[in-house]
Amino acid sequence: MSTLLVALLGVMLLPLFLSSWRMSLFGLSCQGLLLGWIAVESHTEAPTAEGWLTLFDLVVVRGLVAPGLLFAVMRARDGDGRNDVIPPNLLSWTLVGTLVMAAFSFADNLVPEAGDAQQLVAVATAGVLLGLFVLSSQSGTFSQMIGALRFENAIALLELGARGHAQPLPVRAGLLVVFLVTVGFFRWYLELLGPSAAARAPDDTPEAPTL
Amino acid sequence: MSALLLVLLPVVSALALAAARARPVTMAVLSATGLACTVLAGVQLAVPSDDALLAGLLRLDDTSRLFLFVVDGIFFGVAAYAWNRVHSTPELEAEGQRFAVLSLAFLAACNTVLMANHLLGQWIALEASTLAVAPLIVRPGVAASRQASWRYLLFSFVGLGLVLLGFVCIGRAHEGGADAGGWYLGHLPTPEGPWGTLGLALLLLGLGTKLGLAPMYSWLPEAYDEAPPAVTALLGAVQFNAALMMLLRVVQAWRPSGGALLTGQLLAMGAASVVVSTASLIATRNMKRLLAYASINHAGVIAIGLGIGKGASYGVLLYVLSNAYIKAILFLTAGKIKAHYRTKDTTQIHGLIRDLPYSGVFLMVGTFALLGFPPFGSFFGELLILSALVGSGKTLVFAALCVLVTMSFVATGRTIFPMIWGEPKQPVTWARQTLGSVSPKLFFLVALVALGLYVPPAVEGLLKAVAGTLEAP
Repeated sequence: MSTLLVALLGVMLLPLFLSSWRMSLFGLSCQGLLLGWIAVESHTEAPTAEGWLTLFDLVVVRGLVAPGLLFAVMRARDGDGRNDVIPPNLLSWTLVGTLVMAAFSFADNLVPEAGDAQQLVAVATAGVLLGLFVLSSQSGTFSQMIGALRFENAIALLELGARGHAQPLPVRAGLLVVFLVTVGFFRWYLELLGPSAAARAPDDTPEAPTL
Repeated sequence: MSALLLVLLPVVSALALAAARARPVTMAVLSATGLACTVLAGVQLAVPSDDALLAGLLRLDDTSRLFLFVVDGIFFGVAAYAWNRVHSTPELEAEGQRFAVLSLAFLAACNTVLMANHLLGQWIALEASTLAVAPLIVRPGVAASRQASWRYLLFSFVGLGLVLLGFVCIGRAHEGGADAGGWYLGHLPTPEGPWGTLGLALLLLGLGTKLGLAPMYSWLPEAYDEAPPAVTALLGAVQFNAALMMLLRVVQAWRPSGGALLTGQLLAMGAASVVVSTASLIATRNMKRLLAYASINHAGVIAIGLGIGKGASYGVLLYVLSNAYIKAILFLTAGKIKAHYRTKDTTQIHGLIRDLPYSGVFLMVGTFALLGFPPFGSFFGELLILSALVGSGKTLVFAALCVLVTMSFVATGRTIFPMIWGEPKQPVTWARQTLGSVSPKLFFLVALVALGLYVPPAVEGLLKAVAGTLEAP
């Protein structure tokens, strides 16, 4: 397996076992940067506008902006730094291992020729399954956001492995803008659903008229 | 060119309103834009043009023309309702401003979904419509609405993520092939091999999530319950149809190559949705949640109809269009009832027909249509879907659907009818209901009744043409 894919699998797995929101965001950031690196490595033709846009999406938006926006809110909360993205018990850890093995077995079946393409599918599938596992096992807003962004990064990795599917520039730009706005919304919801917001507006206040 | 105005007009209005401060004219601009878009959609219906717009990313065909007219008409009705609410309740002016800006952005996105000629472009517009409407679910000071809004956004994000994953998988099935790279309608890659099958399955699962189909439907009752009535009407009658349009495009494109998977998965998701919604309909005593579960029930019937295809498609279209008007009437009426009684508990509301006569009538007629009584389009639609089930030899699904529809019929009726005809628990206080406040619902009611009693030949021809595209050759 290529070193980059091993590193990517590492940054997908490690934050699951360390109960720290900083580590979760650092893992997300590393995922974005490594995805950018993989995009550069796999791109053999002359750079196009679409290629630059993809690189900007992976490195700047996924690697820096998305984790950065969530980091600012979490730091302002001044908590103890602990946050579980999966339940911290033996069953969860076993499930994580099982999901990764299932992903590799799935890639073996879907891409018969051993090599980088097969490994990329395996790592992307592991990313999708782990993202969905985080989403299904957590009720906290921050952890759900981490799960959703992990899921989205895994799709981006699978897309990188699919060659010859160039999209019109407006469509590629639209995908980037929608992702960027979604991340902005994530930040807004993190503030909206945070402990300080809950303290500000108790549920027993009389309900105002609505549209 | 006038078709492009269906996107540009709401965008320009939204930007203008966002730049200005809240004032009484805001809601007039919102309604005027809704009306202008309805007229433009009507013009497209009457004088069809087949021009490609924005380098082929947008194009109008029969399906998009039909849905544009219905969706824009409903948007206009909801905008007029909101205008009346702000007019009668001045403290809603600031909320009205927020509603106007975001709902216009939402309309622009939904119109783009309906006109999209490129599946990824359609996906982007659907995601944009989600982003525009999600903040509107939040009601000031209500923590549960913030949570519901977040769950709506999260489920949409995951659902549309699954759709994107489906596209990537279908694309991988064609690596190096001649048709690789094309997501334009009419030039779509066929979902071949294991990658194609996986992609189509993920795509249907993701779209099912967006439509509120089982297994990922839990966001819907919460969002519909917590959102303000005008927003619930937009979610149920406008965005549902935008998301459905994407499913229709998938069915139109891939019925010939992936028919068995389409039929199997849509039937399974539809049947599961009808089962879970029937159980929830029996259990709930919350008026808006009851309507939300009925929406899941109807989405299930639509999925079953789309799954069968041949013979059921015309019924599906009648059912879908009737449903859009039913949802708009019932959710707006539920808002009025809740504002009057200050409760959503159905056991606390009795004698509506005497206490709030207009709302009582709307709830009564809407419920009859919801339950599939003749002469409404929902009755004929359901009948056609059921007969197509028998015709295609799926008697087990037919029998199960008949039992479940009867159960949901009884559960809905026993909860709603006492609200309408029971003896009022409190002294009757006739709330003043002006023509302005009831006219949007009256407009929806007329459209609903017309769909059941008399469909003009031109519209019927259009319905048949669209139904033809949903069936296997």
